[in-house]
Amino acid sequence: MFTPEDRRELFLGALFLMLVACHWFAAFFYAPVDEHQGEVYRIMFLHVPSAITAFASSAALAVFSTLGLKQRSESSLALAKATAEVGLLFTLLTLATGSIWGRPTWGTWWTWDARLTTTFLLALLYSGYLLLYSAMPAGPGRVRACAVLGILIFADVPIIYKSVTWWRTLHQPPSMLRAGGPTMDPEILWTLVVGIATLCLYASWLIRFRSGNIRLADNLEAASFEQLHS
Amino acid sequence: MRSSLWRDYRTLVGQGVKAELADLERLVSPVLFALTMLLMFAFAIGDVEPSLRLRIYLAETFLTALFALQISFSRVFEPDRQDRVFDLMRTYPIDHTGWFLAKYTMVLLLGVATLGPILFFGAFVNQTPSQSLFSWLVVGIAAMALAGLAALGVLLAAMTLKANARQILYPLLYFPLATPVLLAAVQASQLYLGSGQISPDVRAWLGLLLGFDVIYITLGLLLFTELVDES
Repeated sequence: MFTPEDRRELFLGALFLMLVACHWFAAFFYAPVDEHQGEVYRIMFLHVPSAITAFASSAALAVFSTLGLKQRSESSLALAKATAEVGLLFTLLTLATGSIWGRPTWGTWWTWDARLTTTFLLALLYSGYLLLYSAMPAGPGRVRACAVLGILIFADVPIIYKSVTWWRTLHQPPSMLRAGGPTMDPEILWTLVVGIATLCLYASWLIRFRSGNIRLADNLEAASFEQLHS
Repeated sequence: MRSSLWRDYRTLVGQGVKAELADLERLVSPVLFALTMLLMFAFAIGDVEPSLRLRIYLAETFLTALFALQISFSRVFEPDRQDRVFDLMRTYPIDHTGWFLAKYTMVLLLGVATLGPILFFGAFVNQTPSQSLFSWLVVGIAAMALAGLAALGVLLAAMTLKANARQILYPLLYFPLATPVLLAAVQASQLYLGSGQISPDVRAWLGLLLGFDVIYITLGLLLFTELVDES
């Protein structure tokens, strides 16, 4: 039923999921309670890694899109599409966890804060990419159009990252990458760094696995099309 | 190479202008749409305090311009779609940079024809006895915004040319990507009209606007060839 390759992929996926579970264990039992926010701040250990994974996905999307333009290959497009799907997933997770965190700390589920708005924008852009992919007939035209959009989306990401410092905003300024070093407790910082690494690894596995599925679906579609017309 | 670029550019712009003038409805309809939208905004917002007038003027004027420009931009390849002109042009040895610049120029001309009446009419209907809202600097900011949006508009029009349901797909892609430009233009205009001087904050927003103009025009020049390449 399963090929050796399938088993290897599933083993890797299970391994990364276990790492994510270990990180959550550390987030709940290793990291100390925050002096100001109490226990509620622990959602940060899912929120921040999700946000960084969502932003990193846009960089990966730009890389796969550039490769797609250079090589004109459907396999690069499959990787780019899988990246957009995973990017959308983590952007939605970022928005959801941010909203849940915002209720007790800001007193509202949603506000048109700069970073929330621009992250919402990123979700719309990933959705637009997936819509463009499904609206184009398969072929080199789709590879090129989607690749160009992938690069355009990446051009939008710096404004999202810098939005917190450009606008007056409710969102806290960057706590890790700032002049003068991080402001947080070392235990919290390490738990967060491990969380980011773990989630990025899991996301890269998801992209690899999903792109294989997309290629398989495309091959099946092409084969059934040929069979219909033979 | 350079002579072929400018020759192709001049030819394509000339043909584009002729096509637009032959079909004036395409030129006039975005302007009429914009004026209708300003009227709808006036009904929806109603009478407001004079202190809010400036913010409302800028919000409704730039939003209306964004919607109207989207209509103009999305139709920039419409003349080329007839009789498969677009597909034929892809097979001709024309300079793709010249082709992009010609379309960009056409979109700029259409944009100026649309933006001018919107800015003038918007300032006219929102003015108060104590404050005139028309400003040449705001016109300049709008022109800077148009420079970036036009490049984005041409790229997206070429990108969605072969897509199904492109009437809905185009705005779905255009509005999120146009947001940084819109935001910078509105913020710079608001700060300038509020204080009457070009403060460091105004300069910062203008810098962002210029940055996005450079990004979108550069990406347009680099990527348009990829979109129309036949290979």
